[in-house]
Amino acid sequence: MLKVENVKKAFGGTIVLDGVNLTVNPGEVVSILGSSGSGKSTLIRCINGLEKLNAGRITVDDFDVSKPKELAEARKRSGTVFQLFNLYPHMSALQNITLAPIEVLKRPKAEAEAEGRALLASVGLGDRADAYPAQLSGGQRQRVGICRALAMQPRYLLLDEVTSALDPEMTSEVLDILAKLAKSGTTMVFVTHEIEFARQISNRIVFLEKGVLLVDLPTAEFFSAEGGLAQPRVAQFLSKMRKD
Amino acid sequence: MRYTEFTPFDLWLLAQGLGVTVGLFLVTSLIGVAIGVLWGVVRFYRVPVLMQVITFVAEVLKNSPVLVQLFLVFFGFPAFFKLNMTPVNAAIITLSLNTAAFVYVIAVSSIESIGRDQVEAARVFGLSRWQVLRHVIAPQAMAFSIGPLTALLVNQLQVTSLISVIGVMDLSKIGANLNLRTLKPFIVWTAVGILYYLAAKLVATLGAKLEKRLRAHSAFRGL
Repeated sequence: MLKVENVKKAFGGTIVLDGVNLTVNPGEVVSILGSSGSGKSTLIRCINGLEKLNAGRITVDDFDVSKPKELAEARKRSGTVFQLFNLYPHMSALQNITLAPIEVLKRPKAEAEAEGRALLASVGLGDRADAYPAQLSGGQRQRVGICRALAMQPRYLLLDEVTSALDPEMTSEVLDILAKLAKSGTTMVFVTHEIEFARQISNRIVFLEKGVLLVDLPTAEFFSAEGGLAQPRVAQFLSKMRKD
Repeated sequence: MRYTEFTPFDLWLLAQGLGVTVGLFLVTSLIGVAIGVLWGVVRFYRVPVLMQVITFVAEVLKNSPVLVQLFLVFFGFPAFFKLNMTPVNAAIITLSLNTAAFVYVIAVSSIESIGRDQVEAARVFGLSRWQVLRHVIAPQAMAFSIGPLTALLVNQLQVTSLISVIGVMDLSKIGANLNLRTLKPFIVWTAVGILYYLAAKLVATLGAKLEKRLRAHSAFRGL
């Protein structure tokens, strides 16, 4: 279980997360919606230990990310896919994927590479294993980014606006893969602006507004008039996003 | 009566001087690069106190003339600490530390040139600070620093000529001796200059070759 308990985070005087509670059970796909600056990405960065909490607690399978000794174990259990891919530019697609399995999980190189190649093949990049990030398109880079996260066999996949930097065609390349992962039972925390897609793949949708979790509902209820749409802020957000 | 003609033996003397210059250059460059990179790593780990000390020492070394440093090491240290100092040792100490100070600057800026996002990604996947340095930062920082490093070393090669003033028999000192004997400064210093030029050119060429190799895959950098 991934548990976020009363988490507070401020940058200087700006409060970004103001007492957020969230629980993600294994097998669930939870989408996080909210306008820019609502704290979605910061929440992800708190879960994977890139930001220190000011208050509250985050545990990944009971490993507390605020405790240096437990952070490593917590990080092994969650894999992150970044908005801007964050690939290592001096390494080939395959090397990007196998670095952490070899160095952190101490997997034998041949084994890690075989798995890396299989992952690349599963996202349609079987023939691009030796290409460098600069030689790949944005959609291809993000698919490598997803493989890199999956190679660590995480229990929770954290996706931080993974399609925001991609054009519609590349976005659908990436979303197709995420849909497959959701179907296969991968647990996902999915920060996104792709509302329709979130609706299709999520079990639950949460809505962040100014660092506060306004709504946390099963997907169908979130989009129903008496559920999420009863919240004026959510209704306003959804109608605006649909117009765009 | 003095013998003012050039003799074939003078060529041998020049070759010896060149050997001393190149030898000292290589030794001090190796030591300097090693120390400078080590300092850079200390800064990467943000080791308290040590980091401030290094920054201060590097500042002092960068902002004072090499000749003054050389005099301090050769004349000042023996007088103050009551120890023996040969000209060659003084030259090695001074030039190594001076090179280290500038290598430190290059190392720090190269390490900082690597995108934070990559470092964060590596950390999230559980790599330790050392693993991040070794696998993500160092390979890229190295490719990035070869250019400035080559420029620095070419300059440090010329700076070695300063050690002739404390009596090291390097290329410049041999040149000065030949000049005193033959009284043909134009010929002597032209020959000496050409030898420095060829040595520097060799350093620059090797640096460019290495850079090309290290950057073979980095179409992402540069235009």
